[in-house]
Amino acid sequence: MDDSIARLRWLRVPALLTVVGLLVAACGTSAPTTSNLAKDQTLRVNINTEPNSLDPGQEQYSYEGAIGASISEALLKIKPDLSDAAPATASSYSVSSDGLTWTFKIRSNAKWSDGKPVTAADFVYAWQRILDPRLAATYADPFFDGTIAGAADYLNLDPVKDAAKIPDFLSGLGLSAPDASTFVVKLQAPMPFFKWIASLWMSAPVRKDVVDQYGSDKWATSPTSLITNGQYKVSEFVSKDHITLVPNTNYWGGQPTITKIINYEISDDNQAYAKYLNGELDLDNVPLANTDLVKNDPKLKNEIKFVPQLTLFWMDFNTRKAPFNNKQARLAFSKAVDRNALATNVLKGRSAPATFFIPKGMNGYRPDLGKTQDFDAAAAKTMLTQAVGDPSKITIDFLIRNSTANKQIGEFLADQLQTNLGVKVNQVVIDSKTVTTRLRKHDYQLYVGGWGADYPDDQDWFDIWMTGSGNVFGGYSNPDYDALVKKADIEPDAKKRQDYYDQAQKILIDDAGGGFLYQRNYMFLVKPYVKGLTTTAQDFEDVGDWFWGKVSIAQH
Amino acid sequence: MAVAQGAPPRGALISFKIPRGRAVSLTLYIIRRILWLIPVLFFVITITFVLIHFAPGSPWDKEGKQLSAAVVRNLNAKYGLSDPFLVQYGRYLVNVVHFDFGLSFQYEDQPVSGLILKSWPPTAVIGVLAFLMIVIFGIGIGVVAALRQNTWVDYIVVGFSTVGASTPAFVLGIILIIIFSVTLYRITGGNFSLPTGDFALDQHLIMPVVTLATLPIAFIARLTRASTLEVLRQDYIRTAWAKGLRERLVVTKHVLKNSLIPVVSALGPTFAVLITGSVIVESVFNIPGIGRAFVVAVSSRDYPMILATTILFSVVVALANLVVDLLYTVIDPRVRLG
Amino acid sequence: MAAAAAVSLEQIDWENPEQIGLWRDAWQRFRRNPIAVGGLIFVCLLVLDALLAPLLVSLHLIADPLKQDVAHSYAGFSPQHLLGTDYLGRDLLSRVMFGARISLMIGLTVQAIYLAIGGTVGLIAGYFGGRVDNLLMRFVDIWYAFPDLLFLLVVVAVLGPSLFTIFVAIGVIGWVDLSRLIRGQVLSLKEKEFVEGARAAGSGPSKIILRHLLPNTLGPIIVSLTFGIPRAIFLEATLSYLGVGIPPPTPSWGIMIQDGYQAIFAYPHQVLVPALALAITMLSFSFIGDGLRDAIDPRMRR
Repeated sequence: MDDSIARLRWLRVPALLTVVGLLVAACGTSAPTTSNLAKDQTLRVNINTEPNSLDPGQEQYSYEGAIGASISEALLKIKPDLSDAAPATASSYSVSSDGLTWTFKIRSNAKWSDGKPVTAADFVYAWQRILDPRLAATYADPFFDGTIAGAADYLNLDPVKDAAKIPDFLSGLGLSAPDASTFVVKLQAPMPFFKWIASLWMSAPVRKDVVDQYGSDKWATSPTSLITNGQYKVSEFVSKDHITLVPNTNYWGGQPTITKIINYEISDDNQAYAKYLNGELDLDNVPLANTDLVKNDPKLKNEIKFVPQLTLFWMDFNTRKAPFNNKQARLAFSKAVDRNALATNVLKGRSAPATFFIPKGMNGYRPDLGKTQDFDAAAAKTMLTQAVGDPSKITIDFLIRNSTANKQIGEFLADQLQTNLGVKVNQVVIDSKTVTTRLRKHDYQLYVGGWGADYPDDQDWFDIWMTGSGNVFGGYSNPDYDALVKKADIEPDAKKRQDYYDQAQKILIDDAGGGFLYQRNYMFLVKPYVKGLTTTAQDFEDVGDWFWGKVSIAQH
Repeated sequence: MAVAQGAPPRGALISFKIPRGRAVSLTLYIIRRILWLIPVLFFVITITFVLIHFAPGSPWDKEGKQLSAAVVRNLNAKYGLSDPFLVQYGRYLVNVVHFDFGLSFQYEDQPVSGLILKSWPPTAVIGVLAFLMIVIFGIGIGVVAALRQNTWVDYIVVGFSTVGASTPAFVLGIILIIIFSVTLYRITGGNFSLPTGDFALDQHLIMPVVTLATLPIAFIARLTRASTLEVLRQDYIRTAWAKGLRERLVVTKHVLKNSLIPVVSALGPTFAVLITGSVIVESVFNIPGIGRAFVVAVSSRDYPMILATTILFSVVVALANLVVDLLYTVIDPRVRLG
Repeated sequence: MAAAAAVSLEQIDWENPEQIGLWRDAWQRFRRNPIAVGGLIFVCLLVLDALLAPLLVSLHLIADPLKQDVAHSYAGFSPQHLLGTDYLGRDLLSRVMFGARISLMIGLTVQAIYLAIGGTVGLIAGYFGGRVDNLLMRFVDIWYAFPDLLFLLVVVAVLGPSLFTIFVAIGVIGWVDLSRLIRGQVLSLKEKEFVEGARAAGSGPSKIILRHLLPNTLGPIIVSLTFGIPRAIFLEATLSYLGVGIPPPTPSWGIMIQDGYQAIFAYPHQVLVPALALAITMLSFSFIGDGLRDAIDPRMRR
């Protein structure tokens, strides 16, 4: 109950990217001179929920990524502007001319927190481990089995019945380490987005000797055995209270200014807000209801940090059921919602209205494509009547997750549809797991779905609307869309690729596969003495939580 | 006359002198009650197991990015959820007999017993302190109000217990935070304020304990006041009054002893509830307690955690009830058990 | 104390119990208790409000509680909105008035369910004692130990989220406290001389339970029920919090408190208004409870 209250964290997917290439710079010129620094370089932040696991192979939530981004480092890391993946544990990489073979050079000075060197074999082991069905790594599919040569069989490999086949399957994967500093990956097809997979947090290396010594399920639960290769390491777990990070003194990229990060696990937003006011937290995600209060407060308004996120929400229509099996009806519903009122009034200006699918900050951002879904109550009603007859005879079951934030948006949407279309909307507010079960069984008509980028590549977004996708429940299917996206996903020419994606987005919007609503933004309070905060459009639980290494605390 | 028939031994509020025959039967009674716990637990486990089985939603259902069918199959295999229901049930019973409560689904294989041991102490500390406050203040002001019925003392107590019982804990908690943490911090320039939350054995305890205790204090005070008034109207009390006994003697000897029966009866479950955690107080004050852990377990369908916590709760409740029943015999020797 | 005794003596002098029936007699006494009558008047007003609120809306005397005006969310006090508006710009006063409908219904229905189940179990366990008591109390142990939350989730999943589901769910899980309370009372009462007297006079168990034990346990029961009404209303709020409450947009005080809590720093009146409504209702039920207990206490008739 406590973890889903009040915050729009529906879709904080493990946006598992880490971005450091720039950490070196962070420790050099941009940091303030030591004379301005506070004596105590401790940063106190809130990750809202206790991580379930910090094993790179096991994590799946953003509150795990918030720690993982600091303690584990993959081959590459995205740049803060999300334009590219920069070298991290790998100092460089090359792609063969056919696009199938990727060769990563591991840094010679890359070290684990216990001082041992990071080798290519650590990556081979970590990735094989993820693809071992017995570990049941949560995102083995689709990130790894969908890309690495020989891994497609993962889907058919039962961990019990096929146990005997597993060793052969693992050794047959396209992963190899010709020498300690060379990691070679063979892919199923040329996939230009593979650089993003190589920068996922779960792609971080894992130490075989550590896992063997402490046990696959135990090694990540204690600071002594949690040996990682990131800039920070865990020094303390206090259950349901906080996790403390300290610098990894063996890190290849030098030492950060912040010498201690306390990650509190406070689920109540008002409580976190109070802690911020009292100087017990250095950053706080402003509770929605306090937005105007903060904006009008002479002191607090100077501490606001506003960061757009690559997260977008839409009305998920179940296209298997009437009236949503009718394209015109879906379009009518899409046109019946006043997005400006939603973004400005209900969400207090903390979200941007959207009638399109790809959010601002991505290559595929094309707001002009969204015209077909623009708000027009009268046209919407006419359209619906023409499509399916008298709207007052239509009753819609609207499935809503039980957090206050979801409920408030649901109440607004239901009212918009009832007022503007004249349909009857039944709000079914139930607990989150039950909602997911019903979605997966297609037992609903309307739901607010969304997507947060795993990585800032269009492929990550467009794939979810392909026929048979598990991440959009409405059963949207259009062969033209599928064909375009399939072509684009493996198209090496950037311009052509973008063109395919644009065509696909237009089809999706015109078909009203979803009724797109808004892009979510973060509004944080940040203490003025927190310097060097570097935010991205893919932050986890706190703005700037990929880049704690660049932060310092000024005297105050 | 009532006084003669029911007169307890003089001089003590609660008599601990129990005749030898009674002591033996009392011991047998306690043993029998504890043995009863076995079938009780068996039923609790069975019903919970069935409920979990029928509850919608699986541990692997989540918001946001979905797990693929292959991953779900692998997870089910890993945690033994692909076996038939009866096999899972039988295996669980066998394990419980060996005090093996399994591994958490949510916290990637951490043993459930360890998770409970970590989250129970904060709950227990706050619960016990709140209970002491409830017994002292609840009964205290209830009796005083009854003895001074229709005076300003009475009105204050009734007023407090009414307001106290009508303030939800989360409202009271956040009001306390606003007053004693935020405002006080601002007024005193940060020199003096109560911590907004977290658990520690110092002033961190004040606000959670007060928040937790307020409603039960109000309830117990009202109950005590009502039943004390009830007793004050009994013939034997009037007789005692008529005989001119001093007020304090009347109160301690007759009134309190008789009026405490419904109060003790209500205190048992109250204690059980406090010691097993208040979700609201734990989340408002960010206390890493078992109440929150249980709710998280239910909402994340962490089956082993739900079952183990339920078993713990039933043991605590059963023991609390046993203590209440024993207290009856002590307070009122005419009550026979067994 | 002496005063109390004096009052009751006065009453006995003043009335003629032979001619006036038990309940009329009680009513006479209740009527002379101004605080209790005040409570009763408030509850009557509340019932009236619950019945007439839709009419008031159609007469345009109060705003439509569901009418959203998101451009004026969290508005302050104004002539159009006497208590301001909520997060979707809905009139707070009108929502509080409509909230009374749901909250009263839940409070009363749930107490009836508590009384029916808890009262029966408590009386039987307390009176018969021994094996029956043991069996029933073990049943209570099981029931009590049971994870409410899990039960609620299953009930809601099976029956679907609705007002009826909430009645059943809250009613069925909460009776245990009452049954223990009554059992405790009966356990001690049945050893009292007047019960033994009745038994000696040849009264059967059902007669003893209904005639002697039930009336004598009434005081604590009434107190417990009076407290039970707002508790049921809170429980409804907690259920909303856990996602198994009454589905929106129907306003209930519990939901309003829950929603208002989000805004407690910025707009404290959002939570204070429904909380106050709840507190006053609670106060009224307490006064009625006290008045009733004083009025129908059988020992005062002697």
